[in-house]
Amino acid sequence: MTASRAPRAPIHRRALGRALSRIADATVAEALAVLEGDGRARGEVWRCGITGPAGAGKSSLVGRFVNARLAHQRRVGVVAIDPSSPYSQGAILGDRIRIDAHGDDAELFVRSLASRRARDGLADNIANVLALLEAHDFDDVLVETVGAGQSQYEVRELVDTLVVVLMPGAGDMVQAVKAGILETGDIYVINKGDRPGAKEMVAEIASVLRHPQGPNDWLPPVILTSALAGDGIAELDAAAEAHRAWRARHVDADSARRQRRRAHVRALVARRLAEVIEAGDDSLWDADVASAYHAVVAGLDYPDQ
Amino acid sequence: MASQLQGKRILIAKPGLDGHDVGAKVIALALRDAGAEVIYTGLRKTPDYIARVAAEENVDAVGLSILSGSHLELVKLTAEALKREHADDVALFVGGTIPRGDWDALKASGVDCVFDSEMSLEQVVDEVARRLA
Amino acid sequence: MSQTKSGPRDAAAARRTTPSGIEIPAVATAAMRRHPDDSAPGEYPFTRGIFEDGYRGRLWTFRQYSGFGSAEESNERYRFLLERGQTGLSVALDLPTQCGYDPIDPMARSEVGKVGVSISNLSDMEVLFRDIDLAKVSTSFTINGTAAIIFAMYLAAADKAGVPRAKLTGTIQNDILKEYVARGTWIFPVRPALRLVADSIVYANQESPRFNPISIAGAHVRDAGSSAVEEMGFTLANGLAYVDELLARGADLERFAQSLSFFFYVHMNFFEEVAKFRAARRLWARLMKERYGARTERAQQFRFGVVCGGSSLTAAQPYNNVVRVAVETMAATLGGAQSIFTCAYDEAFQLPTEQSAELALRTQQVIAYESGIADSVDPLGGSHYVEYLTDEMEVAIEGVIQEIADYGGVVKAIEDGYLQRRIARSAHERKSRVDHGESVVVGVNRFRNEAENKQVGEVFSSSASTAEEVVRKYEKIRDERDGAAAARALDTLDKAARDHGENLMPYLVDCCHAYVTVGEMVEQLKKQWGEFVEPVKL
Repeated sequence: MTASRAPRAPIHRRALGRALSRIADATVAEALAVLEGDGRARGEVWRCGITGPAGAGKSSLVGRFVNARLAHQRRVGVVAIDPSSPYSQGAILGDRIRIDAHGDDAELFVRSLASRRARDGLADNIANVLALLEAHDFDDVLVETVGAGQSQYEVRELVDTLVVVLMPGAGDMVQAVKAGILETGDIYVINKGDRPGAKEMVAEIASVLRHPQGPNDWLPPVILTSALAGDGIAELDAAAEAHRAWRARHVDADSARRQRRRAHVRALVARRLAEVIEAGDDSLWDADVASAYHAVVAGLDYPDQ
Repeated sequence: MASQLQGKRILIAKPGLDGHDVGAKVIALALRDAGAEVIYTGLRKTPDYIARVAAEENVDAVGLSILSGSHLELVKLTAEALKREHADDVALFVGGTIPRGDWDALKASGVDCVFDSEMSLEQVVDEVARRLA
Repeated sequence: MSQTKSGPRDAAAARRTTPSGIEIPAVATAAMRRHPDDSAPGEYPFTRGIFEDGYRGRLWTFRQYSGFGSAEESNERYRFLLERGQTGLSVALDLPTQCGYDPIDPMARSEVGKVGVSISNLSDMEVLFRDIDLAKVSTSFTINGTAAIIFAMYLAAADKAGVPRAKLTGTIQNDILKEYVARGTWIFPVRPALRLVADSIVYANQESPRFNPISIAGAHVRDAGSSAVEEMGFTLANGLAYVDELLARGADLERFAQSLSFFFYVHMNFFEEVAKFRAARRLWARLMKERYGARTERAQQFRFGVVCGGSSLTAAQPYNNVVRVAVETMAATLGGAQSIFTCAYDEAFQLPTEQSAELALRTQQVIAYESGIADSVDPLGGSHYVEYLTDEMEVAIEGVIQEIADYGGVVKAIEDGYLQRRIARSAHERKSRVDHGESVVVGVNRFRNEAENKQVGEVFSSSASTAEEVVRKYEKIRDERDGAAAARALDTLDKAARDHGENLMPYLVDCCHAYVTVGEMVEQLKKQWGEFVEPVKL
């Protein structure tokens, strides 16, 4: 589906880069003060999460996928999340240079975020970050994050389509099922498709995926790709478009909005909770559990402090 | 050394065709260990690309690693590109094989500090932290 | 930060292992050997040398590095050095030539003629060797990504000068595997790049058997921060990968194996370096014989050249480097190197001047003619310490080779970024050791003297007009050549590349004769093979 638009203003990278830093670094109080952006209906914006275990070649895949999206004349914003070091709090943000490796397209914007305090494969203020990109007129907003299992649930609630990227030889299927990897994805990708076991894995996963209950349910496709060779990208793009179309027909916009807002608020509360606990001094923890609990909850109410 | 660069975002880039990247990688690791969020571009990046990434990532500093002798031109092109991206307020550092005789010319091009390859990693981190404070 | 109390005793007490981590006995004895090896020089497994008469029969080649700016400027410098007693020419190419970009390409901007000579077509090659008899001079090209092309161009230049290809001697480095992990002038993805290497080796064996079509280099990973053991281990692993590729393409082991040669750095731990080379000779011979069934001695023999200097040199107190290079040259000769390139003392902070380049050459000459080292073969053979180190290093080097094999081989390790990350981490560790004074570098972390850190000699730079001249000449050739013939040659190359069984060299030579440029040949092949995507991993 090509979005036909009047020519729009070029991306002002410096300004957007600065705005992203402000929002990414914001305390909960500051974040609340910023417009969320999802109060307005933005039906044309497509949010896509790309997740999966480390080593599956996600960034290279996103790099190829992004070119397919740009070919639709869509403005694409990508957020790549890398883990912060638990020792130094620093990070090597290595994903983005693979994402824009093939192009310097004027309609592409890529930003790295370190996970910082977030432990679920996401980053602080990620919900606001995505909202900011939408407010800047992006058509596709992609989030790439490391994760398997638990973390997928977090990113699931932030995006319309969740792509799970796996690779052959990365451990057995039982582990994958146990980790819940096969519960939440809308599209499954087996990358490094030229490696041995790839085709078998496609078949295995397809057989394990929960079958659709009814004719209106979405059956997640399993796609074989090789980011290195550029194979399977067209199929991935087609699946993405198919899912978008399916959502337009079958997903209630209000219900989706509520779900997103719920996730956003939960993330803010979790961060505020972390702020309060970090700020707590010995007197707080010397008290009994019930008193400490009430003190912490009271602190949640005052995000300015 | 840890946390000196907490919260700072730094781009380490290899402009031009110079293929010696280990120095750049070692610096990137040291900056990370000091708490910085570091983007390392890999080889063969154009000045325009480097400036674009600097803007998108809102970095506090750009570090160019050049061992091919082409530092004068490449630095000039990068400084110009940063200006076009409205990012000329970002600190600009250069390291590699830079003869002392060229340091003044580099500073005139907008370089804030030239790093000598014999400086210890601690010295590099200290200097970067001092300039970004 | 100068030390007031210092001396040999502190160093000896602190140091227990070589930089590679091999334990150093306070006093070595014969009992420390693993298995005694009584082979003589020239006898399998060649621990003591590949030639029975060592340097008595033939001294090592004094090979110095040069080449910059335009082909004309380089040609002048070569004739200057040949007059001063140099016996071989070493040609450095600029980065655009190395990376396959013509001088007009936007990627070539700022780099034309800087670190070496710009060669984009046959006319440049002809100018480079004007008035130099290719039949009489040995030429070594430091070229990798475009090695097959530059070699084709050298052959074409010889053809045009009427020099029979069979008379050509020299080397192309042509070691693409190390480019991916330590030097960065790669172009194509690993597999098609390996094909080009194999094609050029097979063709050279046929057309110019005295020309070494590959110099498998450890120098660059060493420079990047690896230890002596890692340097040798990675390099031999690369060597084995080339052997495997050549065998897969049906080449004859006995023939090509004798054309493989190697190239390393020599660093400052004197005995470790000597042992490194002795261990390598023994290990390579064993591998060739036991793994591949090589029967002839020439196919089993490990031939190598060295660079003395590199990252062991400092910008601080540069004259110290003269001493370092001399010590390293002695280690190289005691290790039995076939050719030696000595770095100029100012190499750490500028391209060498005429004066510093000459001193580097004289260093070799003093050692060759005044020290007596060349008078007896493997004079350190039988030393308890050297034999012990040789044995230990052989085991350690083989361990590195096995590690890569266990990972899945060199190609996979490169495609995954495994080797690159390993090298970066080694380098980080090494830097930390120097920073914390655990490894002493005189003038840098000990015995500093700020007053001596001045610039010595002249600052050399290629003239600003070089790039413009190069571009002008390039455009002139492009205009004057037979465009249709060039296009045909490129088209034929393209078709040949699609056939995996074809050797591409004759097609490259034809392209060179038609004045097709380096960039055009590379672009044509990129259309089929794509470009290497660097797996950036820290």
